[in-house]
Amino acid sequence: MREHFTKLVKRGGILGLFLMLMTVGVQHLYAQQKVTGQVTDENDQGIPGVNILIQGTTAGVVTDATGNYSIQASQDDILVISFVGYLTENITVGSQTTINVQLVPDIQNLEEIVVIGYGTTKKSDLTGSVAQVNAESFKDQPLTRVEDALQGRAAGVTVARANGAPGAAVKVRIRGANSITGNNDPLVVIDGIIGGDLTTLNPNDIASMDVLKDASATAIYGSRGSNGVILVTTKQGTGQSKVDIDYFTSFSKVPELLPTLGAADFARIENSRRIRTGGSAIFTDQEISALEASGGTNYQDEFLQSALSHNLQISASGSEGKLNYFVSGNYVDQEGIVIETGYERYSLRSNINTQVTDKLNVGLNLYGSRATTLNDLNAFGRFQGSDIVKALTWDPTTPVRDANGAYNNFSIKGLASLNYNPIANLEQSVVENISDRLNANLNVSYDIIDNLNYTLVAGVGTINSATETYRTDPPFPDASFWSNKITTHQISNILTWQKDFNEHDLKITGIYEFSGRQDRRNSYNAANLAVPAGFFLAETAPGSGQSIGNDLTPSTIQSYMGRGEYNYNNTIYLTATIRVDQSSVFRPDNRTGTFPSVALAYNFGNAPFFNGGSIVSDLKVRAGWGQVGNQNIDPFSTFASVKANSSFAFNGATATPGSSPDGFANPELTWETTTQTNVGVDLSLFDGRASLSIDGYKKNTTDLLLETPIPDTNGGGTILKNVGEVENTGIDVVLSAAVINKDKLSWDVNFNLSHYKNEVVDLGGVEEIQGSFGSTDGQSRAWNVIQLGEPLGQFQGSTFLGTWKTAEAAEALTFGRIPGDAKYLRDESGNRVIGAIGNGTPTLLWGFNNTLSYGDWDLNVFLQGVHGFDVYNTVQGMIVGATGNHRSFLAVEQLNQWTAENETEIPAGGENDAGSTRYVEDGSFIRLSNLTLGYTLRDVIGLKTVKFYVGGQNLFLITDYSGYDPEHTSRPANSATEGNVDEAAGINAGAYPNPRTFTVGLKVGF
Amino acid sequence: MKTINFYKLFRAHLFLLSAVAIVLTFESCAELDEDPAVSRLAPGSYSNQAELELGVTGIYSQLRNASQWSTFFVSGWSGDDITTHKASNKADFREFDQRSVSPENARVVNNWRDIYAMVRAANSVLENAKDLELPDQDAQNRLLGEVYFLRGTMFFHLTRVHGRIPLPLTAEPELDISRSSQVEVYTQIESDLLQAENLLPEIYPGVLEGAPRPNSGTARAMLARLYLDWGGFPAKDASKYAMAASSAKQVMDNSAAHGFALVEDLEDLWKLENRFNSEGVWTIAYCVDCGLHNRKFGKLGNPSDLFGWQETFAEIRFFEDFPEGPRKEATYRTEHDWENFTDQTNPVFKKIVGPEGDIPLSEFNTNRNDLFMRYAEVLLIYAEASGRSGNVTSEAWEALNMIRRRAEGLPFGTPDPGVDVTSGDIAELAFTERKWEFAGEWIRWNDLVRMERVEQALSNRDPQVSMNDAGELLNVSNAIIGSLGTDNYFAPIPQNEIRLNPNLGD
Repeated sequence: MREHFTKLVKRGGILGLFLMLMTVGVQHLYAQQKVTGQVTDENDQGIPGVNILIQGTTAGVVTDATGNYSIQASQDDILVISFVGYLTENITVGSQTTINVQLVPDIQNLEEIVVIGYGTTKKSDLTGSVAQVNAESFKDQPLTRVEDALQGRAAGVTVARANGAPGAAVKVRIRGANSITGNNDPLVVIDGIIGGDLTTLNPNDIASMDVLKDASATAIYGSRGSNGVILVTTKQGTGQSKVDIDYFTSFSKVPELLPTLGAADFARIENSRRIRTGGSAIFTDQEISALEASGGTNYQDEFLQSALSHNLQISASGSEGKLNYFVSGNYVDQEGIVIETGYERYSLRSNINTQVTDKLNVGLNLYGSRATTLNDLNAFGRFQGSDIVKALTWDPTTPVRDANGAYNNFSIKGLASLNYNPIANLEQSVVENISDRLNANLNVSYDIIDNLNYTLVAGVGTINSATETYRTDPPFPDASFWSNKITTHQISNILTWQKDFNEHDLKITGIYEFSGRQDRRNSYNAANLAVPAGFFLAETAPGSGQSIGNDLTPSTIQSYMGRGEYNYNNTIYLTATIRVDQSSVFRPDNRTGTFPSVALAYNFGNAPFFNGGSIVSDLKVRAGWGQVGNQNIDPFSTFASVKANSSFAFNGATATPGSSPDGFANPELTWETTTQTNVGVDLSLFDGRASLSIDGYKKNTTDLLLETPIPDTNGGGTILKNVGEVENTGIDVVLSAAVINKDKLSWDVNFNLSHYKNEVVDLGGVEEIQGSFGSTDGQSRAWNVIQLGEPLGQFQGSTFLGTWKTAEAAEALTFGRIPGDAKYLRDESGNRVIGAIGNGTPTLLWGFNNTLSYGDWDLNVFLQGVHGFDVYNTVQGMIVGATGNHRSFLAVEQLNQWTAENETEIPAGGENDAGSTRYVEDGSFIRLSNLTLGYTLRDVIGLKTVKFYVGGQNLFLITDYSGYDPEHTSRPANSATEGNVDEAAGINAGAYPNPRTFTVGLKVGF
Repeated sequence: MKTINFYKLFRAHLFLLSAVAIVLTFESCAELDEDPAVSRLAPGSYSNQAELELGVTGIYSQLRNASQWSTFFVSGWSGDDITTHKASNKADFREFDQRSVSPENARVVNNWRDIYAMVRAANSVLENAKDLELPDQDAQNRLLGEVYFLRGTMFFHLTRVHGRIPLPLTAEPELDISRSSQVEVYTQIESDLLQAENLLPEIYPGVLEGAPRPNSGTARAMLARLYLDWGGFPAKDASKYAMAASSAKQVMDNSAAHGFALVEDLEDLWKLENRFNSEGVWTIAYCVDCGLHNRKFGKLGNPSDLFGWQETFAEIRFFEDFPEGPRKEATYRTEHDWENFTDQTNPVFKKIVGPEGDIPLSEFNTNRNDLFMRYAEVLLIYAEASGRSGNVTSEAWEALNMIRRRAEGLPFGTPDPGVDVTSGDIAELAFTERKWEFAGEWIRWNDLVRMERVEQALSNRDPQVSMNDAGELLNVSNAIIGSLGTDNYFAPIPQNEIRLNPNLGD
């Protein structure tokens, strides 16, 4: 494969040479007289880089830096003067030798170009459902990551910040989740290269994001479009050179601490808990008085901190002659609100584009970044609860350190959480991930003949990600290393033919593309280091304590695609596509998937009979149908697998290597297919002052690539099969308006709303499948379940019935319980009933973005809401205690616990099931996601603009939820080892809290 | 104009041609056929000894996955010797302690899963080795002998928990498999162990004491254990007692060759430094430094007053009844003031937490090995089965007396009239001897089942004399709430297994 790669690069070079040779002699002029002049913009400034072409020929020139040009032309020639964003002028030369032109901005055209994949189209020509988020809409929100720009700005797009850890993956879903156990992440395409990553992208580099939602739009990415597609276009330089600098600093903290018992109350409750079951008091009255005086230690408070972050952006852009450029740098340094956590990222981008000839355009985009994540809490695992849970449940009567300054590794009296002191853990352990990326995209566009264009998009990328881990859990520290070196390549050959036959406009696109990816993973573990001095002393582990893991997984996709776009008189639009993909993850007989789509639109606005009256100025209806595939499974999935690391130590001192059967083979695996139907209407109101789009859709995903359980009796685990069906139906609404549009005062609003319903329609003959989110309380059961006829994200647990009352003592005894113990619903044979008790998949999402400007002041207010879902707040269950590895009580409500005199519903003992209805809460919330106020000074001290701004993110949250944040989910959005996050939506087993952030910044342009 | 057009056309075609050429050459890059062997062990038939060894070691790896947890012996909490914490997260153990086991019991589920994963691994090795002819035939025999031993022993281990179980014998999953009858289960175990005995050497070359890899004597000893069970409930085939006696005797007669012998001092048995000792008829080995630890000992058996996890406690009544002497001292940490522990007042097993100073209080991942079967058991099987089969010999009495002498701290090989017994019901004497000898080793429950003495043993567990400082008589920690009848001897099949394969419900 490496050879292939080198070959590829070599051939890329040959291609470049070819192109250079072919362009020799293109400057072929044919003239009688010399014409000069200047091309200016609406402000009388010269525009560099304007194309001036003699109509019907290939002869042309480009304006210089001041907008001047000089061209040889005959009197009959017509000069065609064109520039992106301006209306094209046609001027007959005649006897003129000086022709000055002032171009008129084409605002309509500028705003309404939509990227649709392997090409662009005018928004008015769209037949599919595409949401566009351009830089304008998020420029007033201080951003460190791209997902925040998407959140709440595109209808039908769910962006959920599963936790507040800096640099953590964010869940992005387009029109709900299709796959039960597979990947539901949308496809990200950056400048034509498939398979990008939003997390590491610099938000300031983005010109626009176009979200392809319905199948008629995504079918063009047939093989990987089933979860929707986000097309990211990065900025290109235009016009005069300019430099922009943006710096902001943020101060973050947890919005509020969760209430837990103070040390003295904890001690009293602990005494009563022990005495109640026949034990004796563990705290004396004197000890309790001392704790009352000192207050003990609040581990939550010790574990969280106020955090400071910095973000610096610098970019330079412009065009010089035939060359335009955009170069930028970004530095982000974020402290986490959990101690010893943080994220740092440097990135550099260079987008250079040159019009080599009037027919040939070559662009090269380079992007490099380094991201360092310190102490990702997910890396610390969830065994007996995450470290957040451990901090929330740690013994308040044990100080962090003893009298000699050494850590108290465990609770002195063996109370509350029996785990390792989370402060000692975070302060001594170091888990550092460094991820380096380099992407290079070459874009060559050549007009072969009139109407026919060939475009080559060639991209190579490499990601080198390594995690160095040093963990200090007593008695001896462990070190481990994990790395994955990913190389990717993609070659797309695109031929486009377009022709206008009077009222008939036809465009045909044909594509041949192939892409590949190779992952090389290496890891090792070194247990029980003799010298506890960090990761780099892993060598001091005993030889037998080290284990190795290696893997190499190549994959390839080869695709052929065709698209036809037709419109009649700008009234009737028809788009049809077909894509054929072959994926290496399937066996030869099952590897080819064919994905068609068709869409139709009717624009009443351009129809001769249309008269919308004073309100409706334009009306378009759209309908589309299409199929898209999903092949997102690991390479070698169709083969049985053998686990190499199955060792045993016969002599008790050294491990002997072994192998054991692992996965089951399924050579029959093939594509998962999503079929979607979309109907939409676009209205333009009040002469374009407002617009409204409504889309309704229904999508069914069949032949799911589903991890189907194998009974434990037959070896257990799962086998990937094509079974089952998931249905998503929903409606997306976008309303945007320029509410006030005066000289000094303007107010723009954008409101979008999505409502959807997710349902598991078929599970291959079974009623339910156990989920894969294991409980953290040692009960060895799943906290989630997938059920037929229900949405994904079903919680599984017991039903809490309060306490056993004194009057029920006899019945309680048959279950080994006494009055005051927790009572749960039981079936006729006396077993606790475990069933579905809630759902974590929201049904309604909305975003409301307001931009107000008054003179030099501007204000951005962005509100966001998510409704119709539950949160499984097992963290509260763990805080209550009497479960898992935490046998004491720590919840404040224990102050009102059951007593014989006052029989409340708060148990005084008996096992507390953290996975029960007691901890299922309504998660609906409304959040003030952003509030930013800015003031801009123009033309001061030699600078074009200086803008100051202050703001806050997550300033308020309206919710009934009692935990940190209802948006939290404990399964990371990018989990590779667990199932997908949608299946375990809404389960909070101790996620990193979302911070409240205050920001101050400065933007300078010159 | 003509030249331009020609030029244009030529260029256009050249470009098209070159584009097509590039596309075609690139096409070879789309390598669509996968070959897992580039980076992974290929599944399928073995062709050499190294592959067979990897496969066999892999079964042991699966064994440790199961045996590292107390879960492996969860039914042992049903016995009158072991109890657990009365609250906290020990519900799964309490269900056994209180004789009310739910089909969702996580320990039952995990044990079932881990044992059948091991069975799958064993079946896979047998299938992959079907056509294997190694140059070193001895190596092939002993490796395959181990596979049969492990499969048979694990079926045996599981049938003692559940009674009738399914018997998958192929690597390809048989998704509609049913449970076999008890006799079919015993017959399969017998067949596997006989195969193992046949293939295994007298002593496994190159291993430490205690048979960390089984020898033919290990297989025969396991057969003795099987036949003793087979003679009792539920199969009650009394003819098997004679086979139990003869099997045990056969092991005793060849004990030197197999490397089996009693250790002199019972205190030595549970020390870390003695984790490989001659009394092991089969030892499961662990290695903390290798990441292959044992999680049943140390912290698991200590009270919260000693920072313990309170999973495995000793029953008070059993402790009260335990005959005083060196064996009791070797069984319990009698120096503790356990009657006044603050959370739960139960004695602590020395067999679980180790002798004083042996395992640090903070440690739950230990190097302690499992003495899955001790030579003492072979001797007591011989004594008991001789009695039950009506063929009592002086060697049978001697076997019993060796254990009795050691329990008193005397040299086991030297007759002592003060301790020795030579008359009476040897079967019952040996049965009672087992009660004390194997206390806390998760064996007692199986004895109660096979002799149908559950009700008798569990009906009166209330402490008789143990009091705390306040002068209050202590209570039994977890009262019986389930039936003590034979209908409730075996744990239910995990609910989810029946859900996925209803045949397992029959």
